[in-house]
Amino acid sequence: MLTKEEVLKIARLARLELTDDEVSFYQNRLGRVLDYMTELKGIETREGTGVRHVPLDSEKFRNDEVVTFPDKEALLQNAPALEEGGFLLPAIMETE
Amino acid sequence: MSDLREKYEAVIGLEVHAQLLTKSKMFCACANQYGAEINTNICPVCTGQPGALPTVNQRAVELGIRAAIALDCQIRSESIFARKNYFYPDLPKGYQISQYEKPYCEHGKITVRLKSGEEKTFGITRIHFEEDAGKNVHASHGTVVNLNRAGVPLIEIVSEPDMRNSHEAGQYLRALHSILRYGDICDGNMEQGNFRCDANISVRKRGETKFGTKVELKNINSFRFVEKAIDYEIDRQIDMVEKNEPIRQQTRTWNSAKNITELMREKESAHDYRYFPEPDLSPLVISSAWLEDIKKVMPEMPVQVRERFQKEYGLSDYDAGVLTASKDLALYYQEAVKVSNNSKASANWVANELLGRLNAAGKEIDQSPVKSDQLGDLIIRIDKSEISGKIAKTVFEEMFATGRNPGDIIKEKGLVQISDTGAIEAAIDKVIAANPTQVADYKAGKVKLLAFFVGQVMKETKGQANPGMVNELVKKKLD
Ligand SMILES: [Zn+2]
Repeated sequence: MLTKEEVLKIARLARLELTDDEVSFYQNRLGRVLDYMTELKGIETREGTGVRHVPLDSEKFRNDEVVTFPDKEALLQNAPALEEGGFLLPAIMETE
Repeated sequence: MSDLREKYEAVIGLEVHAQLLTKSKMFCACANQYGAEINTNICPVCTGQPGALPTVNQRAVELGIRAAIALDCQIRSESIFARKNYFYPDLPKGYQISQYEKPYCEHGKITVRLKSGEEKTFGITRIHFEEDAGKNVHASHGTVVNLNRAGVPLIEIVSEPDMRNSHEAGQYLRALHSILRYGDICDGNMEQGNFRCDANISVRKRGETKFGTKVELKNINSFRFVEKAIDYEIDRQIDMVEKNEPIRQQTRTWNSAKNITELMREKESAHDYRYFPEPDLSPLVISSAWLEDIKKVMPEMPVQVRERFQKEYGLSDYDAGVLTASKDLALYYQEAVKVSNNSKASANWVANELLGRLNAAGKEIDQSPVKSDQLGDLIIRIDKSEISGKIAKTVFEEMFATGRNPGDIIKEKGLVQISDTGAIEAAIDKVIAANPTQVADYKAGKVKLLAFFVGQVMKETKGQANPGMVNELVKKKLD
């Protein structure tokens, strides 16, 4: 279980407004996610334990060449509103 | 305030975001291009479409490594990209790809020259890669987001809190800017936001070792404004401490119209960015072979240019240091020498006359009204004895005020030096006729009077006679 304060903090960071019911719902739900992570931590992953370790490859690079994405309209269409080619959003309020 | 400044000490650390000179963005192939039409350089990656995956721009990493080499940093062979999570409309993914626990390099340093002539070394804590955010344009009915800049490659260079006053901070920034420009790492354009500076400032009583509460100054877009803002902030904080008012942890910005810093936001606690390793990217591996390849093609750095100027142009270490303070200045000087063919005179004119005037006018070298070839032209005219050094200063003044060519000014104002023996002799005759007593004294052995006659002849010719010839001809006439 997470505390009420922890849930409210996460909600604030995610810019979500929660009702009291939702807060207690997430106290339980997010708590279960954390419990599951704790359980995963207990798994023996050292060599020879049968759990396969996938080595991280080094990052492959991309050459510095410009490729223009052909379907910008599709990207803009996802916006709730557009103004002269820009994504139009409600005015930003500084909350911090 | 100066007494109080003695009692307190400021502690300043700087964070610089420098845009890397690449063709494409950091994690996608969209163009890294300033001033393009709104939302033209966008793709699924930089607009944060679900399922789109980032790929690392090799050139961006190379340029970052150049900066690391130039700033004497320790380069990590394996660094990790991390997600910095926060919500803002210009950040479509809801996180910025950056580096956190394991940046690609740390523990560097930079040496700067202070106006006292003293050299001082400041520590660089770390440099890490990150992507830029988009741009919010505030309109009356809402915010319009342009994502052309989202994903453009940046390095963030974080200094140690080693600076103690605005001058040191200003010189640190100038030196850093210069290194990035010399290395073709960043174009340094501050108006376009390609080199941005944030400053952390706190004050404490001298002798104290604990840091005071720091205030962050953000988004200052010129060296001079950084210096002014820091000075203002130091005085403001000292004033508050003196009045026993608590200094609040804040983010402030510089208002250049009012010459004050203004509150942007209160910072109750550190941001909760919930950094974690970027699962979409593997570790960034920098092999020693790659590092060597990059070293081989490193452009000339300020220290090297300074040495070359001493060898090639016979300049003193000091002059070479002054003339290589920025890449633009070094280029200006080289071009002036190319025209004038006189490295010493060019150094004097650039370092003394030109820089002095630019400083007084609050201008940088790229805003000089006198172009390098015009200055070279002026020096040629002095060397050819077309004008005297003294007249040249008048001509230069006019060039600086109007941007006109020296030849035109000399012609228009009739400033050409008189090197015609007949004309000079005529002037000498006039002076001799007007000063019989002095002539008699001279002939009686008072040879010091020679200077008097030369001065009178120069006056007679309005300073335009060739001084060497006057000297010689006066002697000949009187002896
Ligand atoms: Zn893109």
